[in-house]
Amino acid sequence: MKILVAIKLVAALDEDFEIREDGCDADPDYLDYQLNEWDDYSWEVALQLAEKFPDKIEAIPVTVGPERAEAGLRKCLAKGGERGIRVWDESLEGSDPMVIGHLLAAVAKREQATMVLAGTLASDHAYAQTGMCAAAELGWAHIAVVSRLDLDPEASEANVRRELEGGIEEELAIQLPAVMTIQLGINEPRYASLRGIKQAKAKPLETLTPSELGLSPQEVGEAGSLSQVRRMYIPEKGQAELIEGTPAEQATRLAEIIKELRGDA
Amino acid sequence: MSLIVDGQSAEHVTRILFQDFSGWMIFSFYVVAFTAIAVFAYGCYIQIRKYHRGTTSATHSGLAGFRRMLADMLTHRGIKRRDRPAGKAHAYIFFGFTLLFIGTSTITLQYDILHPLLGIRFWYGTFYLLFSLTLDIAGLWLIAGLLYMMYRRKWLAPPKLNYKRPDRSEADPDYTRRDYRIEDWTFLWALIIIAMTGFLLEAARLVWLQTDPSVWDYRWWSPVGAAVAYGLKAAGVGPAAGAALRMWLWWGHGLIALVFIALIPYTKVKHILTAMVSLSLRDDKPAARLPTADLDANRIGYSKITDFSRRYLWQVDACTKCGRCHEACPAKATGYPLSPRDLVLSIREFSHTNLERYALPADEDLTVLGRGLHQVRAETLWACRTCAACVEICPVGIEHVPMIVEMRRALVDKGDMDPAVQTALQNIQNKGNSFGENKRKRAAWTKKLDFPIKDARKEAVDVLWFVGDFASFDPRYQKVSQAFARVLHAAGVDFGILYEAEMNAGNDVRRVGEEGLYEHLAEANIAALAECEFKHIVTTDPHSYNTLKNEYPQFGGVYNVEHASSMIQRMLETGVIKLSGKLDRRVTFHDPCHLGRLNNGYDAPRDALNRIGAELVEMDRSRDNSFCCGAGGGRIWTPDPIELQKPAENRMQEAAAIEGLEVFVVSCPKCMNMFEDAVKSTGNEQKIAVRELIELVDACMQAGTEQPFSHDVPETA
Repeated sequence: MKILVAIKLVAALDEDFEIREDGCDADPDYLDYQLNEWDDYSWEVALQLAEKFPDKIEAIPVTVGPERAEAGLRKCLAKGGERGIRVWDESLEGSDPMVIGHLLAAVAKREQATMVLAGTLASDHAYAQTGMCAAAELGWAHIAVVSRLDLDPEASEANVRRELEGGIEEELAIQLPAVMTIQLGINEPRYASLRGIKQAKAKPLETLTPSELGLSPQEVGEAGSLSQVRRMYIPEKGQAELIEGTPAEQATRLAEIIKELRGDA
Repeated sequence: MSLIVDGQSAEHVTRILFQDFSGWMIFSFYVVAFTAIAVFAYGCYIQIRKYHRGTTSATHSGLAGFRRMLADMLTHRGIKRRDRPAGKAHAYIFFGFTLLFIGTSTITLQYDILHPLLGIRFWYGTFYLLFSLTLDIAGLWLIAGLLYMMYRRKWLAPPKLNYKRPDRSEADPDYTRRDYRIEDWTFLWALIIIAMTGFLLEAARLVWLQTDPSVWDYRWWSPVGAAVAYGLKAAGVGPAAGAALRMWLWWGHGLIALVFIALIPYTKVKHILTAMVSLSLRDDKPAARLPTADLDANRIGYSKITDFSRRYLWQVDACTKCGRCHEACPAKATGYPLSPRDLVLSIREFSHTNLERYALPADEDLTVLGRGLHQVRAETLWACRTCAACVEICPVGIEHVPMIVEMRRALVDKGDMDPAVQTALQNIQNKGNSFGENKRKRAAWTKKLDFPIKDARKEAVDVLWFVGDFASFDPRYQKVSQAFARVLHAAGVDFGILYEAEMNAGNDVRRVGEEGLYEHLAEANIAALAECEFKHIVTTDPHSYNTLKNEYPQFGGVYNVEHASSMIQRMLETGVIKLSGKLDRRVTFHDPCHLGRLNNGYDAPRDALNRIGAELVEMDRSRDNSFCCGAGGGRIWTPDPIELQKPAENRMQEAAAIEGLEVFVVSCPKCMNMFEDAVKSTGNEQKIAVRELIELVDACMQAGTEQPFSHDVPETA
């Protein structure tokens, strides 16, 4: 069986950054890209299963994004797995999770995958929808925020655990094929050494376009999206002050602030 | 010169070999002797075949290494360190045994080789008498040395000879060292029995031949034998009984000695050979300059026993369990699951079990990393701080640190490491520094200075200051960096830094075992340095100092690198640094491993402290025996478990025992980080201030009439 793991190269902000001129995203000059933290965990789930059942399970990382997103696939392949898939063309710019889910579903069908794993959410936009959208498109069973997964490739269902509010744990059986989104802490992801990342360059990456996956231009990008970013902005912040100096100086300053706030000064 | 009594023939003054032996006895003896030699030779073959199942050593120092080994052996300089009585006793045993062995060999040389082949005889007369006296003295040395060793093992029982293991629990099948204990005692007893039966045999012969003037007249040339002979005579042993006794002892002594020789390659006795090879092949800088690796290979590092360099396989077999490393290791001292001794013995047992077989076993029996019998556990490898205390004190030249790093390389390649170390390495991969800070902020600490620092990328400088990660980003150590900038500025030094072009130097990345990332960092820094014009490099960080100086040459970066402590010492000596105050304080100095043990920088910081007027009181463990702060080898990025004492706390308690100590002086950003915590967690922050040498010098340059930092070092009573 094939396990498809959806991964995303997320944007991380510098401490000082600016909003793009159109006011709909952060200025790319201030962005660093790295693999979404959740994806380290979901890829580790798939790798451990593939290592446990070496002849029965194949783990394949898949991403939707421009060329730089290949860095995320390489990082995954540095840890294991034999090939990766990237979906992109210009028309995908501005796609929302619904479109991405649609694309992932198309890849899953193309690969005849039995399971799609994704991170619970991506740390940049934090929609936490992509996995579920793919499940809707595929019409498969789905569970979000999974904290443990037991799978026997021969069985028709998998056992899953989720953590609920107040320290309760829930155990579920889920019919395969299925889509799951994985929570942080489900395992201890391994490290991708720089040597491994370089060597992973020899592993094949397949690049697919939406049309190759059977999606028309109307179904992708802003045209195919159900939601659209109207504005992105930095809300006004409260002020904090770091008090420095000797304990005596710090105490004096603290007393001053308290007086100021009480209006005694 | 002749020592022979007038009228006697020198030819007759000798020991007649096999005197009164029948033909079948002589024949039997030769059968036994040749069997013993054959068993010995077969054992050597098995051992050498085992070593050759390793990989070829990349570095060794050739003839110079051999000469160094001879000097090590003849002076016993290694084995005498930190345990002089044991070293001396070993010298008695070594020289006694060697003389006896050479002496006995001269008999064979003449009797079995030179005489039958060339007709040459020399073993009589004056030579014989001197030989006899020398061997008696050698026998006495041997017995004296062995008696002390028995006394030491049984009654002194130093903790380092205790086989308690920190890396296994008592329930583990390979916990026990019972066989070693039996072997240790058998070795001592066997040698002492051989020596004592030798003397008894000599005495029995004298009693037997007391009527032969060519024997009895020369009895005092074997003084011990003669004394024992008088004892035998007094006990009523006559010539006939002497003859019978001599026959029994001859066979007894001979057989035990031959069995001993036959078993050399199979027992701890083999250290007499393996230690010579180990010492000859050892690297000059085993911990300061780690081996390079082929990054394009299928695997990296040591995960199988056959990945080990042959040199290391020789070395683990040279270990005599003397326990010097066990005693010096900071991880062992604070309860971590690592003892360099037990690590070496695990590898030895593993190699013994799997590589001495006729055919090389399957791969799964070669995997040395794991939790099985004699395998090395990951937590053992991660406990190491690469401080090289073990390497430095090992009398037989074992190179623990490169072996540990090679095994770590295999773990890193599988991605198996502490999550906190992963985060640090990830940060270095992404941002070039372990703090995960933006590159642009690397030189942010310079903004607090009231003068600009030259950008070495844009203009030529005399001194290029390689600042390093901790000195750039750690808030506490940034103050030291600022102080160093002030010192250099005030002394009129033309210096600059690399600003954003500098990356983590990679010393600790390499010691974690992330060789791919290390090479990337080294190459990036070398490329950045290639763009700059400078005469030499200085750094305050001994870790950066070590790798720039010793390891960058492996990648083509050859520089003149100096540590800040020696630059400061030089500037104090030449008067370039003008002091306006003295440090009238009682201080102690903590040697950073990478400055001291790895690079011999013991004297400069001490001299600098003296020159600024400090009263330096040494801790018990100082200089080469300095006790690591615990931050080396990537441990700075690994959280220490709360239930264990931190090495830095152990060290701070040692310092706190110094009467009236006011300042604990460090000379390394990582030591600073560790001891600023330890001084608080051991409850000493009211009494002791942790200061960098640089800060003290800076304070003395600025101090007017006021004592440096009298405001924040409380007076001690």
